[in-house]
Amino acid sequence: MDEEIVDYALEYAQSKKIDYAEVRANSQVQDRIILRNDILEAYVSAVDSGFCVRIMADGGIGFASTNRWSKEETKATVDLAFRYAKAANRKDKLIFAEEKGIKTKWVVEQKKKIENIAPEEKISAFAEVHKTLASCGINVPAVMSQVFIDLITKYFINSEGSRISSFVPKIGAYVYVTVAEQGKTEQGYEQFGYSGGWEALDIWKIQERMMHNAKVLRDVITKAKPVKPGEMDLVCGPEVTGIAAHESCGHPMEADRILGREMSQAGRSFIYKGGNYWVGTRIGSEAVTVVDDPTIEHSYGYYAYDDEGVKARPRFLYKDGIINEFLQNRESAAKLGTRSNGSSRSVNYDREAIVRMANTFVAPGKFTDEELIEDVKQGVFMKSFTEWNIDDKRFNQRYVGKEAYLIKDGELQHPVARPVIETTTLKFWSAVDAVSKDVEFDAATCGKGDPAQGVPVYTGGPRIRLRKVFVK
Amino acid sequence: MNDILGKTEEIVKKAKSLGADEVVAKTTFGKYRQVRFSNNQVDITVAWDDYVTDVALAWKKRVVATQMHDFRDVDAAIKRLVGLAKVSGENPAFGGFAKGSFHYANSQADKKLETLESPTELVFEAVDAAEKEAGSKVDSGGILFTKYEDVYLVSSEGPSGVDSRSAVELSIRAFSEQEASGHGVECSSTLKDFRPSRAGSKAGEIARLAKNPKVGDEGVYDVIFDPLIFGSVLGIWGGMASAFSIMIQMSIFVDRLGKKVAPGIVTLKDNPAAYSMSQRVFDDEGVPTGENVIIDHGVLKTYLHNASTAKVFKTKTTGNAGLIAPTPWNVEMTPGSLNKDDLFEEVDRGLYLTNTWYTRFQNYIRGDFSTIPRDGIFLIEKGKIKQSLKDLRISDNILSMLGNITGISKERQHVHWWGEADPPSLSPYVLIKNVHMTKSK
Repeated sequence: MDEEIVDYALEYAQSKKIDYAEVRANSQVQDRIILRNDILEAYVSAVDSGFCVRIMADGGIGFASTNRWSKEETKATVDLAFRYAKAANRKDKLIFAEEKGIKTKWVVEQKKKIENIAPEEKISAFAEVHKTLASCGINVPAVMSQVFIDLITKYFINSEGSRISSFVPKIGAYVYVTVAEQGKTEQGYEQFGYSGGWEALDIWKIQERMMHNAKVLRDVITKAKPVKPGEMDLVCGPEVTGIAAHESCGHPMEADRILGREMSQAGRSFIYKGGNYWVGTRIGSEAVTVVDDPTIEHSYGYYAYDDEGVKARPRFLYKDGIINEFLQNRESAAKLGTRSNGSSRSVNYDREAIVRMANTFVAPGKFTDEELIEDVKQGVFMKSFTEWNIDDKRFNQRYVGKEAYLIKDGELQHPVARPVIETTTLKFWSAVDAVSKDVEFDAATCGKGDPAQGVPVYTGGPRIRLRKVFVK
Repeated sequence: MNDILGKTEEIVKKAKSLGADEVVAKTTFGKYRQVRFSNNQVDITVAWDDYVTDVALAWKKRVVATQMHDFRDVDAAIKRLVGLAKVSGENPAFGGFAKGSFHYANSQADKKLETLESPTELVFEAVDAAEKEAGSKVDSGGILFTKYEDVYLVSSEGPSGVDSRSAVELSIRAFSEQEASGHGVECSSTLKDFRPSRAGSKAGEIARLAKNPKVGDEGVYDVIFDPLIFGSVLGIWGGMASAFSIMIQMSIFVDRLGKKVAPGIVTLKDNPAAYSMSQRVFDDEGVPTGENVIIDHGVLKTYLHNASTAKVFKTKTTGNAGLIAPTPWNVEMTPGSLNKDDLFEEVDRGLYLTNTWYTRFQNYIRGDFSTIPRDGIFLIEKGKIKQSLKDLRISDNILSMLGNITGISKERQHVHWWGEADPPSLSPYVLIKNVHMTKSK
């Protein structure tokens, strides 16, 4: 990364009649490993380095990026961004919410430096997963692993005096497993994610978790019974709690979505001006508080400053069941008359930073995990999920259980085959009557933007108990 | 142009000299433009100018790849890559990159898309058309995207060629009410015959019809799929036809080659033809691309292959090599015998769905999945649209749906939208019987 070129780009942009300019450079040392069973299909190793210029002029925004680091190319990139900003010709002129310039550097520390890990060690860490599964006594015809390792260096400067440098190593992986027993198949996957060094592998315990997955999938085939559809209590494990927090709290609380800026792709929100829901409206029971917090150290969604140079902080989205605070970047905050809360993220230099979640989770309650089960006469414990989705206003959602058990008279019984909850955001969160103490997190990739920008996040929470919901 | 091809060839020679058995290098100079708009105004205009050389090499059946962004870095980058291959694990299934010397069709890329710098007026053509067709004020949003790429490919195994690839796409969603919207797309490889107003009119028409929606009822319906939503389904079937999807057991087509998977009226092809947004004259191994019939009158005829997967399946490459795995370029369903209106007449009581998103599978081999229709959802009675609906979900099986196709229209549309209707496809109106719809309780 050539910081002199970045500085030159801003200097050149400021020589024009602009309202605002920023230059964001990004260099990513990338490893991508694809394994089919224990066979390496491909190892892709590359360095992607470039910068973007975002200019606001006459109330319009222009954005241009390049990966060619020359002064000539820099001038052309700035010229293009400036020309596009002017061409917007908007009736409603855009402004950004106020921020002060910040000069700082931040890094995520590594206990075991990824730079010191040999490629063969990286490969073997995941090839071993298949070897373990192949010898566990369960018929596992296919395991597919995708590994993403990124060393991300950023340099952000803007016309308000900000100058922020950062370095973040991130490791992520998907492992898909197919189990075949009695002529039937079941499939499932686990995602892993961490900001930091190779110590992630010690924390993840991939082999243990994938072995558990294989056993769960085998039991779905050999032991599980369907649930008799009807109204009953549902206890959600942290994985299910987390996906619900992400889908039906985090997403609808994105201010750009609320304002319609994502209307054609990710959609709008059930929260909108003049509608039934806004800040101060009840959306869940008093037991429900959902937080989005980018500052959880070593989390997959960790950052100290967002991609507009705004300091990160926790956001209380739903607080005691009440809609509390939207996720904001500087553009949305200005439109809604507030300040950014540091939610602007971009996956690379060639993508616009937009409003995103970081680590979204249900805040802990006062119960033990056991107490939540003990008080259920008839219900289902949905520990993890497989198929899921939600509509684009983020109101109608569906979660299908992967590992799930019948609860009868406060005791866990046999596994339940693919139980389904299909309900609204209001009904889901209003039905929560108890929340346990212990929060757990899962890694996920949050999708949004056009072109798509999959950003690393955590989803999570403790166990939660929903009373009298329809399970089928 | 020859200079870039020469530099790409030097990369291949360098890798060979360092011990690589086989090498493919592909240099792409890409120029991409996008206008994003919402609430009838431009939010941001974006330009990406990218240069990248993708290099894949094999050493003793170890396959590694890299991307380079500067010809000055070649020696060090290739040395690193060959070193990486030497510590990587063997892939016994790797059968080598495609071999041979080929003649390629002339590229039909549109040069006008290389120089189009301010496409904003095309956006307003669509926005105006949406409002006109809706007959009242609508809030429209979407994107206009243009692409122009010069591609230079050299393989140590013989193929060498130059291609230019262009595309233009407009996607617009119009809201007539908070919960009433329509979506239209216009996709092409050239500006000739590109009519943003068609997408706008379609979005406006559906938005008008979608007003005052009622929550739909759960049940089993005969469903007419609009070309846009059916494009999402075609993309799923196309992806599942990749031989790699078969090898990793992520496809309903596992163990079904040569078997009947659909009624006789269904013929499904992959074809990166000149009209397609993904038109190209060679694949990522330098094999000429062309039409491949995946399902022929209901019978699964082939998977999509690169040279290596073709060896595993004891057949020939279909010219679908991506950098790592075979991929569909542009999925076509051959037209049926009915007009669109005749297709509606076939439905006594059913649904007309126009778009969908968030498709997720429980099991890719079985095909159990759900997806959430959006924009216009309509109840059809006796062939006519009776009522606008909302809040319904398809919860069904993608193999059963393929088997339950009973009608295909003559009319087809080239569609592509975001990650949901991807890859691009040539998609008709299709009638599928007995589709399971669910809703929130």
